[in-house]
Amino acid sequence: MKKLFNNRAVTAALVVPGIAVMVFAMIIPIGFSLYYSLTDWAGIGTFHMVGTQNYLEILTQDSTFWRSLGNVGILIFITVFIQNPLAFILAAVLAKVSTRLSRWLRTLYFIPAVLSVVVVTALWVNIMNPSFGILNKVLSLFTGMPVMTSWLGNPATALGAVIWIIVWQGFGWALLFFYTGLMTVPVEIQEAAIIDGANRWTTYTRVVLPIMFPIISAVVVIDVISSMKQMELIFLSTGGGPGDLTQFTAVYLYQKAFVASQYGYGNALSILFVVVSVGLTLIVQRFFRTEGEVQ
Amino acid sequence: MKKTLAVLASLVLLAGVAGAQAKTTIKLGDNLPDRTSGMGLVFDTINAEFKAANPGVDIAVESYPDQPWQEKVKIYVAANQLPDINKYWSFPGMFKPLIDSKLVQPLDKPYFDKLGYMPGALESNVFGGKLYGVPLTADGWVVYYNKKLFKDAGVAVPTTYEDLVASAAKFRAKGIIPMVTDGKDQWPLVITWDNLTERVSGDYGLIQKAFDRKIKFTQPEFVQGAKLLQQLVKSGVFADDLLVSDYGASRNLFGQGRAAMYVMGTWEVGLAADANFSQEFRDNVDAFKFPVLKSGKGKADDFMAWFGGNIFVNATGKNAALGVKYLQYLGQRWPGLAWEKQAGYPAQKVTPRDSDTVLAKTLLKIGSEAKQTSGGPPSTDRSNAEFKDAIQKAAGELCAGIITPEQFCAKIDAAADKAAKK
Repeated sequence: MKKLFNNRAVTAALVVPGIAVMVFAMIIPIGFSLYYSLTDWAGIGTFHMVGTQNYLEILTQDSTFWRSLGNVGILIFITVFIQNPLAFILAAVLAKVSTRLSRWLRTLYFIPAVLSVVVVTALWVNIMNPSFGILNKVLSLFTGMPVMTSWLGNPATALGAVIWIIVWQGFGWALLFFYTGLMTVPVEIQEAAIIDGANRWTTYTRVVLPIMFPIISAVVVIDVISSMKQMELIFLSTGGGPGDLTQFTAVYLYQKAFVASQYGYGNALSILFVVVSVGLTLIVQRFFRTEGEVQ
Repeated sequence: MKKTLAVLASLVLLAGVAGAQAKTTIKLGDNLPDRTSGMGLVFDTINAEFKAANPGVDIAVESYPDQPWQEKVKIYVAANQLPDINKYWSFPGMFKPLIDSKLVQPLDKPYFDKLGYMPGALESNVFGGKLYGVPLTADGWVVYYNKKLFKDAGVAVPTTYEDLVASAAKFRAKGIIPMVTDGKDQWPLVITWDNLTERVSGDYGLIQKAFDRKIKFTQPEFVQGAKLLQQLVKSGVFADDLLVSDYGASRNLFGQGRAAMYVMGTWEVGLAADANFSQEFRDNVDAFKFPVLKSGKGKADDFMAWFGGNIFVNATGKNAALGVKYLQYLGQRWPGLAWEKQAGYPAQKVTPRDSDTVLAKTLLKIGSEAKQTSGGPPSTDRSNAEFKDAIQKAAGELCAGIITPEQFCAKIDAAADKAAKK
C-alpha cells in the first residue's frame, strides 16, 4: 500500500478529482465574475468593457456597499464578543448542573439552530409585527401603555432586530461547541489547579480556556464566515431596508445583479467581497495561530 | 396463446411509451402563485382548454410572487433557460432589453387587432413596428376599502387627501389599521407619489418631462408630492409595518378585515370574488378614486392608468410556434374568462353584466368617468432598472423618515440624470 501511495501517478490520480471540483466550482466562476465585473452588462443584451469603472464607483461613491460591510463588521463583533462569551458562560453552567437538566436545556437552546431560516424569519417577523405581534403586546402589558414599534421597519431598531434574530438562531451552535469542548477538559487537571490554590475564575481563565483554545478559534472562524455569508434572513425580513440600514453585502450584490439589472456592477461587488472575505479569514486564522503558539 | 398475449402486451406498452415521448411540454412562467382564484385560476382554465384542444401538448407551469418572478426571469435569461411562455410586463425598461436580445417572438398584430383590445393596449407592446407581447390587463391606481370597517369607525369615504389623513385617528381608535400596501417592495409607494404629484400639479405629463430632462425632479410639485407621501406615513394612515409588509401580507391584512383601505392597482378586482376571504369581506369590498387635494390642481377624474401586464413567447425556445398558438388562443379566451371570474380588469373590452360584483362595477365606472389619464406607466417603469431600483429605495427611505422630501427629489433627479446619460 505504501508503495502504491509513493507512486506519483497514483497520487496525481487521487488529487485530480478534488482539484477539478475546485477549478470548476470556484476558480472558473470567480474568473467569469472577474471578467463580467469589468463590463456594464445588465444581465440581458450586449455589454461594453468599462475597465475598473465599477470598482472605482463602488469604492468611492457607493455608500451602501460600505454600510453593508459595516453591518457585517457589527454582526461579527456581536457574535464574537457578546454571543460567544454568553454561550460559554451558559455552557459552563450546563456542565455543572445535573445531566438530565443539562440535556433538557441543551435541547431547548438548540431548537432554533435546527429550524430553517425561512421558518425562523417568518416567526420573528410575526412576533415583531407592530399591529398584532406578541412582542409589542407583552411590552404594552409591562409598560402599561400601548407599544406600536415597528421593530424591523423603524430606522432606530431595524438593525438591532435583525441581528437579534441572527444571534437567536446561532446561539445554539456556539453553546453546543463550547459545551462539547468543556466536557473534553479533563476533570483531573481542574482538580489539580484547585488543590494548587486556584479559585474558580483562575481555573477557567488559566486552565480551561487554554485547553479549549482550538474550539474557541473554530467557533470564531465559523462566526466570521457565517456573518459574511448572511443573506437569506435579511432578504426575507427587511430586504436590507429601511433604506439600506440593514443591508448586508451578500444581499446587496444579489440585488444589484438581479433587481437593479447591474450584473457587471454586482460582479464587481462580489469580487471585492471575495477579497474582503479571504483577507478577513486569513487575518483571523493568523491571529489564532499566533495566539495558539503563545498558549 | 400466452406468447401472443405477451407480444401484444409488449406492443401496447411500447406504443404507450412512444406516445408519452411524443408529448410536447410547453413551459409557462408567471407571477400568479394562487391558482385557486383570480388570474391564476383563469390561466389554469385556459391551460386545461388548450391541452384538451391539443392532445399532444402538456403545459408545465411555474409561479412565483411578483418581485421574485421578475428576478427569476433575469436569472433564466442569464442561464439561457427562459420558459417558452412568460407572463411579464410591457414597460420599455423591462421588456425592451429582452426584445433587443432577440428573446421575444414577434406576433401577428392583425390577428390580435380583431380581438377587441382597448385603444393603446396592443400599441404598448409594439416596438420597432412589431407586436411582441399580448396585453392582459388595464391597470389603474385606486383605493380599495371595506365598507363595514368604515361604518364601524364612523368614517365617510374620503374624497380629499385631508379627509384621508383625518380618517387615520378614527380607525386607529377602533383598533383598525387605516391603510395597507406592499411597502416592502416599495413600488406602490412610488406609484402613490406619482398620484400625489399629479394631484398637486394636475398634469400627468410633468413626470415624463422630468425623465426627458426638460425639467428637474427637484421642482416644487415633485417635492410637494413627496411631502404628502411622507405625511401619510407620519399621520398614521399607513400600517405601522408598512416597510416590512410585502404584497401577500398587506393584501391578506385587507382581505381578513384587519385594514380599512388598500391602495393598489385595478388588477385586484378579484378581491370581491376571492374565496380565500370571508363572504362578509367580499360583500363589503369596494373602491374609490384616489383622493384629491383641497388646494391642488388635480381632479378626481384624473385617472392614472396604463397597460402593464403582458405575456410573450420565448423566441429562442424550441416551442416558439406552439407558444404563439397558445397566445392566440389566450387572446380569445382571456377577456371573457377574466371578467366572468372577476379575476382581472382585462385590456380588452368587456360586457358589463348585472351579476358583476359591486367592486367590478365601481372599477368600470371609475375607468369610464376618467377625463384625463396618465397615458404611460408609473415612474418606476419609465426608465431603466437602475433608476427603478434607485427611486424605490429612495421612496423607502422617505417613508422611513431617513431622508427629507427635498433629498428624495434630489436623489431621483441624480438617478434620472445617470439613466439619461446611458
